[in-house]
Amino acid sequence: MKVTIKDLTKKFASRDKTGEMVTAVDTLSAEFESGKLIALLGPSGCGKSTMLNMLSGILPVTSGKIYFDDVDVTDLSPDKREVGLVFQNYALYPHMTVLENICFPLKIKKVPKAERIEKAVEIAKMVHIEDYLKRLPKELSGGQQQRVAIARALVKKPKLLLLDEPLSNLDAKLRVEMREEIRRIQRESGVTTVFVTHDQEEATSISDYILLMKLGVMQQFSATREIYNNPGNLFVADFIGNPTINQIHGTYTADGIKADGCDELIPCAIKANEGDRVVFAVRPEAVIFENEKNTVNATVNDLYSSGKDWLVNFMIGDTDLRGYCDADFNVSEGSKIKVGFKEKGAFLFNEATGERY
Amino acid sequence: MKKIKFGTIARYTLLAIGGIIMIFPFIWMLISSLKTWAECGSMPPTWWPKDPTFENYVYAFKTAPFLKYFRNSLIVTVVCTSITMINTILCAFTFSRLKFPGRDLIFSIMVSLMMIPYEMLIITNYTTIVKLKLYDTLAALIIPFTSSIFYTYILRNFFLSIPDSLYYSARIDGASNWQYLWEVMVPIAKPSLVTIGLLNALTCWNSFMWSILVVGSVENRTLPFGLFAFTDQAGVRFERLMAGSSIVVIPVIILFLFCRKQIVTGVSKGGLKG
Repeated sequence: MKVTIKDLTKKFASRDKTGEMVTAVDTLSAEFESGKLIALLGPSGCGKSTMLNMLSGILPVTSGKIYFDDVDVTDLSPDKREVGLVFQNYALYPHMTVLENICFPLKIKKVPKAERIEKAVEIAKMVHIEDYLKRLPKELSGGQQQRVAIARALVKKPKLLLLDEPLSNLDAKLRVEMREEIRRIQRESGVTTVFVTHDQEEATSISDYILLMKLGVMQQFSATREIYNNPGNLFVADFIGNPTINQIHGTYTADGIKADGCDELIPCAIKANEGDRVVFAVRPEAVIFENEKNTVNATVNDLYSSGKDWLVNFMIGDTDLRGYCDADFNVSEGSKIKVGFKEKGAFLFNEATGERY
Repeated sequence: MKKIKFGTIARYTLLAIGGIIMIFPFIWMLISSLKTWAECGSMPPTWWPKDPTFENYVYAFKTAPFLKYFRNSLIVTVVCTSITMINTILCAFTFSRLKFPGRDLIFSIMVSLMMIPYEMLIITNYTTIVKLKLYDTLAALIIPFTSSIFYTYILRNFFLSIPDSLYYSARIDGASNWQYLWEVMVPIAKPSLVTIGLLNALTCWNSFMWSILVVGSVENRTLPFGLFAFTDQAGVRFERLMAGSSIVVIPVIILFLFCRKQIVTGVSKGGLKG
């Protein structure tokens, strides 16, 4: 099912005495394609959970519209929206067994008992919990509880599946495993899925599209590769990518960027206005070592092994930067080296507005 | 052999003494009720009846309609407890989950009503019952006690401790408020509900003063009132009195034995005292 959001706004009464309203989501518009996995990404307090709660109908909207396949659902209560929601704490009914938990939405719909058990078992097989049907939620591990929560959300064949920070309660290894599981389950069921996360790695690893938010305002909504390769502003470039993107502050000149605390000009193919304060942002993998042409002098600070290659921490002037080099590249702490930057993976932003040139 | 610590022995001895002190009157009542008049008054008292007899029970049932009293008590207890439970559940849900203006203020006023002592309400309740023409009916024993602010308060606090996400989850699963209440909240609150129900049932079963005030005829007496009347009929025949008392107490003890586990967990979880 296609989800269309138009000028969605949510304001909360603030707790302080001024009585001013706090805007959690600010005139946000987007369209989620049917059958895709969409990540709502952003730092905490950016309004992503508020968005999710408005999609599910738990929170009423202040203004704007939500359409499910061109049907206006803005004022529908949660029980009539046909969505499935998996909470961060899973919210399984503690007094019901796994099977009863999964059957609950069907029981409410008055589906005959034999049929609902059949459907529940089918879903349980899909999420690999068919061996635990007789257990109570407290007798399951975190990962298993989450599978039950997903099964319960999927069993009524929702048009939209919503996941609120689904992986944050799991340990590191299980998190990687479960995010692939979520991807598989989403593919198998083909249901349009929206999940909330503050972890950019989680978002980039499994989603088709990423909607990045900051303080209630949408920063960028594009395909996952696209948001990495083509960030719309400095915040997006900084938020997506691990290790984070290198940032060199300086003044733009036609011959290159005059970086702060550095005498050399850094060559840059992107055009800006002469004398603008800019931020030259370079992905660590776009740093080239020992390049004769277009190179800048740098000093190696530190080296970290990351398996097949080194992550080199180096300085250009006062700026601390990171880049990847081959493991057989001969450097040590304190070496003077020359570095260059590839065009792909290097971006130029306005320092004041964060806008991209 | 494992060495038993002195502390353990001391603890168990103390507990045993306490237990015996608590249970002795009941045992003595049961033993006495099986004795003859002569044996009951004999000095020194005998521990075990030489000639156990159920004659006193037969006498008690013959002289006073204990079965009728029992039936009345049962009706009053069951009806009163059921209505109280439904009231309490609905009220607790309203004051914990539904949002409406002035909710907390109304609830504070209700809670402050708990400060009015029961004795002060007797006269007003009495006149109300007489005006409603309910004097000397079983309804008079039930109607004034079909809601309890105290139990509502306890249950509301329990409901508040259930995470919001369960409510929203149920709503998204398609449940209405009503379905959520009965399918999710009530089953989760079962230990608290059992405790509240049992405490309420005990209060109803033992209610004495109110039934003396609003019930006159033998027809509508409950067990405690019936037993009180029986003391007049039995006079100084203690073995008969003990038989009457046993008839009143035994059903409650049986109920307790069956529900002991729930009462204990409920009391320790809900922080209630009996």
